[in-house]
Amino acid sequence: MAATAQTQFQSDEAPTPLLSATTLVGPATVFVVAGLLLPLAILFRYSFDKVDARRIMIDTFSFDNYVKFFSDPYYTGVLATTLRVAALCTVICLAMGLPLAYVLARTQSRYKNVLIMLVVLPLFVGNAVRAAGWMTLFGSKGFLNVTLMQIGIIAQPLQIMYTEGAVIAGIIAVNLPYMVLTLQSVIEGINRNVEEAAFSLGAGPATMFRRVLLPLSLPGILAGTILTFILGMNAYATPVLLGGPKFKMMGPLVYGQFQLNNWPFGASVAFILMTATLTLTATANILIQRRFRR
Amino acid sequence: MTPSKSRREVLLGAAALAGAASLPRMASAQAKGRIVVGTWGGDYARLLNKNIEAPLLIKNGWEVVQDQAGDPERRSKMLAEMRLPRGTTDVQGLSAINMFQMHDAGSVLPIDYGKLKNAGNLLPSMKYPYGVGHIYSGKVGVYNPKLITTAPVSYKDVFDPKQGNKVGIIDIQYQYTLVCAALAAGGKVDDLEPGKKLLLECKKAGMRIYPTNEAFAQGLKSEEFGLGVMWKARVVQWQNAGISVTSMTPTEGALAYVSGFVVPKNSPNKEGAYAYLDAMLDKSAQEAFAVDMGYNPTVTNAEVAPDLNKRIGFTPDEIKKLVDLDYNYLNKNDVALKEWWDKELKG
Repeated sequence: MAATAQTQFQSDEAPTPLLSATTLVGPATVFVVAGLLLPLAILFRYSFDKVDARRIMIDTFSFDNYVKFFSDPYYTGVLATTLRVAALCTVICLAMGLPLAYVLARTQSRYKNVLIMLVVLPLFVGNAVRAAGWMTLFGSKGFLNVTLMQIGIIAQPLQIMYTEGAVIAGIIAVNLPYMVLTLQSVIEGINRNVEEAAFSLGAGPATMFRRVLLPLSLPGILAGTILTFILGMNAYATPVLLGGPKFKMMGPLVYGQFQLNNWPFGASVAFILMTATLTLTATANILIQRRFRR
Repeated sequence: MTPSKSRREVLLGAAALAGAASLPRMASAQAKGRIVVGTWGGDYARLLNKNIEAPLLIKNGWEVVQDQAGDPERRSKMLAEMRLPRGTTDVQGLSAINMFQMHDAGSVLPIDYGKLKNAGNLLPSMKYPYGVGHIYSGKVGVYNPKLITTAPVSYKDVFDPKQGNKVGIIDIQYQYTLVCAALAAGGKVDDLEPGKKLLLECKKAGMRIYPTNEAFAQGLKSEEFGLGVMWKARVVQWQNAGISVTSMTPTEGALAYVSGFVVPKNSPNKEGAYAYLDAMLDKSAQEAFAVDMGYNPTVTNAEVAPDLNKRIGFTPDEIKKLVDLDYNYLNKNDVALKEWWDKELKG
């Protein structure tokens, strides 16, 4: 009887674990396979085709599109610009986001939720609308130039629009909330006592940061930098609107090729962008983890 | 004694009656079937509804649904759907060059003008074998008289390296800009090399490149530059918005811009497609587009007020001199031309 009761108990508590797991991951898996992996596989195949003015592309299997990209300094320059801008934005977001996230995580203020909302506020506005705001600010007759000219600091308007600096400022504004929120949630999980223990053992703020806070918040830093870097690499609206026609990053380059009906080259540029992003992200992840494991 | 009805039964009965009463109306709204229209969004889509669909089709029993997207996306969709026996759209609004491209790809029906009662009024130049011209304008010279004191009269005057950074061009209009520059440099619509050379000289002299039509208008407004080329219809819209700009029809002949409609081969409702084409050529719809959008009618029976015609229209001589793009040449060389534009001119 005891055995029967145990069987009954087991069947109630752990019913068919395989079925449960399938039910849980099934819908998301189907969605990812059908909505992402399958189109990616098709696009990957297209990247080996040849462009044709009449039929868009001709079925073939050639590496010409990839060779064209890597043998042309124009396209490799676009990739280099994208990497530079994404890396710069990530570093600046981390430098600005870490202190802000720390304050948000540690504050005891009753307005903490309001402060977090203020950080998230920029995400309430779409990228294109936000870039339009930057255009009003940066234009030759925009707020910034007019103010500087009126107070006599400059005589001629500064060329801010359609520069790399404008794009970097715009991307940072988009990405900073992601970095802050990721870091804040991780720092909040670090017990305040470990910081106080470091101080009581004679560590200064810098040493405590380097030896205690930084290693413990590493998962957040990694997640935040990965997220910011990926968003920077794939930026579209900000480079188009603030960078102007002469400034090229990979996102607009991919879309431009599809606009031209050059699907094969567009597909290959898309895969080069994806591979570069994945490779750099994975490499940075491994290197940083190794560095701090010591 | 009749059994008394419960409140639920009474409500159900009322609902059934109301439903039955609305049936004839619904049936009448869809009596002639559904027409799916591929179009750009924004003002053009709104005006299609206001001037064509609502007064001439929906009112007469057609159901009209707009499939709004940019033209690259819609062209891709047409090509992707080509092999299907039944497509998803009945008519597609495209520029003349893109109408040609879709025809060249074999994705559109030849137009049977016998099925269009308004075809007799259509300008001969707007009767493409594979599509119907809806509205047209011309690429004219634009200048701010405050900055450009000597009025230009030709594309050659606009694309003059001596003008330095007073000249502006638009990135997304690379095809038309290249052809204008080619005409300025003595080239032809199928020989753009002289235009490329001239544009490089202008770039060296300080010519500005703006990403979109809107950014170009903003630059004109803020007087960053004062000279360029643009559709005459768009100049009218800018003038209405208070921008100090004047237009001139170039002596080389203005490049024509035609926007029209094609019928995909696998259109599910070909009868509806022809009804749409006919409605868009209707006198009232054509006149309304001239007023609302500043583009010229493509039918001869449309009457445009003389003061409006002076601003949007062209004289008979200017119409004779309108220059059409070489669609075949541009279609074949588009990728190479854009690469040159991106790498050499903008790079």
